[in-house]
Amino acid sequence: MSNLRLPERPGEVIDRGTPLSFTWNGKSFTGHRGDTIASALTANGVEVFARSMKYKRKRGIMTADHWDPNLFVQVGDEPNVRAGSRRLEAGMQVSAQNVWPNLNFDVGTANQVVGRFLSSGFYYKTFMRPKWFWHNVYQRVLRKFAPGGRIHWETSTHGAYDKRYAHPDVLVAGGGPAGMAAAVSAAEADAKVMLVEHEPELGGHLRWGDADDLAALAELRSAVDAHPNIEVLLDSTVTGRYDHNWVAVMQRSHDIAPERLVKARVGSLVVAPGLIERPYVFSGNDTPGVMLSGAARRLINLWAVKPGSKAVVLSANPEGDAVIADLEAAGVEIVAALDARAGDDIAEVKGSGRVSKVVLGDGRTVDADLVVTATGWTAPTSLLNMAGDRPVYDPSAARYFPNQVPDNVLATGGITGNGSTAELAAHGTATGTLAANRALRLRHARRAAASRARSPEGPRPEVLEDTRTPLARVPHPECYLSSGANAKKGMVDYSEDVAAKDLVQAAGEGFDSIELMKRYTTVTMGPTQGKLETVNAAAVLAKARQMEMVDIGTTVWRPPYAPISLGALAGRIFEPVRRSALQDWHDAHGAAPLLAGQWVRPDHYGDPMGEALNVRENVGIIDVTPLGKLDLRGPDVTKLLELVYVNKWQKLDIGRVRYGTMVAEDGVVSDDGVTGRLGEDHYLMTTTSSGAGAVWEMLEDYLQTYRPEWDVHVTAVTGGLTSINVAGPKSRELLLRLVDGVDLSPEAFPYFNVRRGTVAGVEDCIIWRIGFTGELSYEVHVPSGHALHVWEALLANGEDLGIKPFGVESQRILRLEKGHYIVGQDTDGLTKAPSAGLGGLVKLDKPDTLGLPELKAAYERTDLPVLVAVQPDDPQLVPTEADQIVDGDSNRILGRITSSRMSPTLGRSVCLGQVDPSLAAAGTSVTILLVDGRRTTGTVQEHHAHVDPEGVRQNV
Amino acid sequence: MAKHGYTYSAGKLLKHGLSSGAWPRMWRRPEARSSYDVAIIGGGLHGLATAYYLAKEHGITNVAVLDKGYLGGGGSGRNTAIVRSNYLTPEGVAFYDRSLDLYNTMAQDLNLNVMFSRRGHLTLAHTDSALRTMHWRAEVNKLQGIDSSVIDEHEVKKQAPSLDTSKDTRYPILGALYHPPGGIVRHDAVVWGYARAADHLGVHLLQETEVLDILCEDGEGPEGKGAGGRVTGVRTNRGDISAPAVVNCTAGWASLLSNMAGVTLPITTHPLQAAVTEPCKVFLPTVVVSGSLHVYVSQTDRGELVFGASVDPVGTYRVNGTLEFTEELAGHVLELMPGISKMRLLRQWSGLCDMTPDYSPVMGTTQVDGYFVDVGWGTYGFKAGPVAGETMAETIATGRDADLIAPFHISRFTEGDLVGEKGAAAVGH
Amino acid sequence: MIVVPCPNCGPRNSSDLRPCGEITSRPDPATASLSEWRTYLYLRENPAGWVTETWYCRSGCRRYFTIERNTATNEIRDSEVS
Repeated sequence: MSNLRLPERPGEVIDRGTPLSFTWNGKSFTGHRGDTIASALTANGVEVFARSMKYKRKRGIMTADHWDPNLFVQVGDEPNVRAGSRRLEAGMQVSAQNVWPNLNFDVGTANQVVGRFLSSGFYYKTFMRPKWFWHNVYQRVLRKFAPGGRIHWETSTHGAYDKRYAHPDVLVAGGGPAGMAAAVSAAEADAKVMLVEHEPELGGHLRWGDADDLAALAELRSAVDAHPNIEVLLDSTVTGRYDHNWVAVMQRSHDIAPERLVKARVGSLVVAPGLIERPYVFSGNDTPGVMLSGAARRLINLWAVKPGSKAVVLSANPEGDAVIADLEAAGVEIVAALDARAGDDIAEVKGSGRVSKVVLGDGRTVDADLVVTATGWTAPTSLLNMAGDRPVYDPSAARYFPNQVPDNVLATGGITGNGSTAELAAHGTATGTLAANRALRLRHARRAAASRARSPEGPRPEVLEDTRTPLARVPHPECYLSSGANAKKGMVDYSEDVAAKDLVQAAGEGFDSIELMKRYTTVTMGPTQGKLETVNAAAVLAKARQMEMVDIGTTVWRPPYAPISLGALAGRIFEPVRRSALQDWHDAHGAAPLLAGQWVRPDHYGDPMGEALNVRENVGIIDVTPLGKLDLRGPDVTKLLELVYVNKWQKLDIGRVRYGTMVAEDGVVSDDGVTGRLGEDHYLMTTTSSGAGAVWEMLEDYLQTYRPEWDVHVTAVTGGLTSINVAGPKSRELLLRLVDGVDLSPEAFPYFNVRRGTVAGVEDCIIWRIGFTGELSYEVHVPSGHALHVWEALLANGEDLGIKPFGVESQRILRLEKGHYIVGQDTDGLTKAPSAGLGGLVKLDKPDTLGLPELKAAYERTDLPVLVAVQPDDPQLVPTEADQIVDGDSNRILGRITSSRMSPTLGRSVCLGQVDPSLAAAGTSVTILLVDGRRTTGTVQEHHAHVDPEGVRQNV
Repeated sequence: MAKHGYTYSAGKLLKHGLSSGAWPRMWRRPEARSSYDVAIIGGGLHGLATAYYLAKEHGITNVAVLDKGYLGGGGSGRNTAIVRSNYLTPEGVAFYDRSLDLYNTMAQDLNLNVMFSRRGHLTLAHTDSALRTMHWRAEVNKLQGIDSSVIDEHEVKKQAPSLDTSKDTRYPILGALYHPPGGIVRHDAVVWGYARAADHLGVHLLQETEVLDILCEDGEGPEGKGAGGRVTGVRTNRGDISAPAVVNCTAGWASLLSNMAGVTLPITTHPLQAAVTEPCKVFLPTVVVSGSLHVYVSQTDRGELVFGASVDPVGTYRVNGTLEFTEELAGHVLELMPGISKMRLLRQWSGLCDMTPDYSPVMGTTQVDGYFVDVGWGTYGFKAGPVAGETMAETIATGRDADLIAPFHISRFTEGDLVGEKGAAAVGH
Repeated sequence: MIVVPCPNCGPRNSSDLRPCGEITSRPDPATASLSEWRTYLYLRENPAGWVTETWYCRSGCRRYFTIERNTATNEIRDSEVS
């Protein structure tokens, strides 16, 4: 391999003292610190980096930066790495991707031969018959052509990604001369500034410029470095601007995280990205050896790499003219220096794997291995688009310019016009001052707006008028499509292998707006997202439709500005789980964990059936902390309860507990629970675990927006009180040993009552007698700091009573035996109160309750489904929950099983189900369709409760 | 297939390749007439399909499809192209199954390869209650002849090996609803297929034609709009067009247009966002949906992962997208597939979804004679496009709501019952 | 991530709050007809422009308050406690 490294260059960024070894397709190479992968390989004489997507054409370096469409490589387990911008590291294993079997010989090149048949959208027009052929053969082949590298999902892991919030007054996107100057002037105006630069160093195009450029750069950079108000993020990209100036920055220069997402709430966003050089469309324009002037200058001046030996240069601007001196200084022979302003042109480039001949516009053919074009610029207006701007094309300058941006976004630098370094910096300075003024005014207003926020310092700054002198728009020829006879064979989209002729064809077929053309041909849809392609595509369309560029418009630039890894977007994955104060104990005692909504809970301790039976026979305890608990205080609590529950609450004496069901305003059952009256104006409400948050917010909503005059204070105490249900015939006996200050006798403390007392020495516990399990049971609410003590005291004192802890599964068995329904399982999104079998609970004569008109309407209907208890006629058969109840042998659905379990108490299966009202009468036989397709029968029961329908056990 | 169409085939591809001859236009750019039998507002999948079936099945060809932008520029071009029929309610299943049938033969019917990839559709269950809902859907589906069943986590792993099916995750995969006929379709091609076929049958496709008002008479509201009245046409940026039947086939702007006829809709408009990664070699063979994690994902034949989520919580007509969508999406995708952190998000976009209270559409006749709606499609309009067109065409041609769409009539919101898809449709892709 | 001005807590990221939609006026449930009730439940103006809507300061002071927001631009005017 040849060595194309040049002698030292004044602005070079490589550290010649630090060689780095790496491999390319398995072969060892050496580069230097400061090289990109591409510059190191080019210095070693590598000319071909990739194969094109469709025709598998060889592709070489073209822009030598992040946007280079030909430099996508695999590095280790990371696909689609931009070799044009990724810094070289020692030991990198780099390989070409999307080639088979290898880069030098790819069988897909056969597509070049048949390429004339693979016109744009060809796949829409064929492979339709026979139908199986598409699915079984062609689709599989097409997938093999999927471009891109390989993701190693089997072995890759989520890395140490991180995120950061930032609140700069001014964020400057782009660290070229205008951006640096804007940052300095904004900082001098007392704004906190974040300056973000895509490349690893500040300077923009000055970095690969001449001696004057380097001197200007040094001066600007030292001004930036000197200012303490400026934070500089290098190797970082502003990837998106969202509403209210929420700005995303992808920082690749962080010490630890491979990529860090910085989320900035920005006062003023200054957009100073400079310009992106545009490729020129001519036949052979994707041949290795054809590159843009910026690429040649960067290779020579930043990395001291000689890009070729015999060059044809086509220039339409001063930057293009400057490349000639750089090439000559690098020892490249200039075969032809063509001036597009004078009508010179390139007709066609020939060569396979490397440029060999160039046909000039005047018909001459010259030998060359390098073609450098400088035919114009694309304004990367993405951030402005995201802020609502629709840039407008100016034919005299041959590019788009910003049009209308909101006040909190300002553009400066090359994107707004042309100028000397001094002129660009001056515009940046004025822009920075303006940006600071607007940001500081906003900061002041925000601080003044909120009484509880930090108050502003001093008076609000006066409005500064925008008196900036716009940068000039230097005339530039419209160089898009070569005049050569075969120009339309030239590539417009390198990533997608879309040539100009493909676009012309699409326009002729009716895809004659830029968006339709994009969708049909996939032009601009590849990884460079149109930065190199969009304007050329619009130019080709304009020519095909004989329209002006101005009337064509462009596709909408969408975020992100540059692709972001999923890892960086995810950051540290944080999915917390709520744990009760007893969960450590459960874990230590063999509980099977059950993830239920936000919570992890004990499902069982090894024997759910046995644990359930023990509750029926002895005593068990269960941790029911996730039950929603709301402490309600105030003189108007009764009014609130009347409003949100379907039943009546006027006459609830102190010390009493009542069950209540809630419906939403549409009459659908939304939650249920019990509420107890602890004092004159003090209640405790419980809700379902999953409904706890929603009920709380609902109560606040009605209290604040509907009845603000009511005096009620709601405090959520779900986690503050640990809830332990002590259930079973021996529960009273157990509590007698531990409770002080409460008369536990059935006469003094009957069913559905609440008392406050001391449990195991813990004062101020709330105890209520309720019975989800159907047994004599007490629910003890303990301040969570003492929960473990009480739990262990219960176990220790109940040993001789046969106490066992039980979990959620046993509770589900017990409640089903008892026929208690669960909101959301036995009811669904359409279940209105009458369907849930609430019968007499619902009071329609209240003046106001949620969903009252819907409840009234529902109670007049006879066609609503009914919740019933069902027992399968085969007592050992447990239907799956959600098995359908059907009409005999037909497929007509008449209901479904909503809950089912084997009952240890009865030794048979028991169910709840929703059925058509025609099946609701006790004794009705229903047909249940099992998952395996068999049909079985069951019988509708008189009561929901399969066990103890009279409630004797809970009332003792 | 067509009155004056041009049939695509491998032979034609060969001929054009050899001769380099130009392909004919897929559709014309016609001059608008001053009156049509039917004016359809919205040149997306629903409007074009309605026009096509009006012409093909009912012989009504004096039809205009009006779009303020370009064909398929709204939801039709912004969705994630998933089709399935494993809904929860019998009404939903019957409806979407007909749609799937139409997708199945669409390439042949329309003579355009819409690249229907029947790759299978997995709806993951991370909780036992989700698993119960999956069983419910599977059982309802089976009773209506739909290929749908609940599979366990081992079978899930076989279908999609890159999913993390280990137990010690925050959202363990307990199983999935597996629906083999579900898959993805090239969404733009469906739009173009209907557009081309409708054009060939004589329908006028009027792009860049914005409806500014719906003209009515005899209604109880101002300007003759509202209940009891009838439509007489539309006012556009290119002049008035008279039509005795006006069909609202829009998404995102359905409320605004319907208000022009004096018909208020039960709709709030929310953006639904989607995103796509850079291409990688294909590794995900099926469509994967997780309701708990609010994400769905499939990999195109080009190798890009296409992601979607649930609608944005804040109702807005903005379609510029949010950063938090991409952050949550990435976090949730990596919960499911921890090995793909190094894939890069290439592009995000957003479309407008008209959400109804019961996650079902509003279709058919309205209280204004001659004003028809095909709106409120939430996040599932693409799946339903073909059958919506077919049933709306029948409804317009006969003046009576087609049987399949009777449950979706607007009157259900003032009387009658809502449809029960809400529970299953929260992230129902 | 838009900024929503809570009257108590000041400007907050919208993820700290819950949007509750267009403000509605609840008819008297004792006298409302079913059709009036369902108009309240389901029908919405859904304008593309200024709308008065309720937000809940979920992670902050837990107040419900209203703001005017332009649904076409996401521009926000003042807030007030309900």
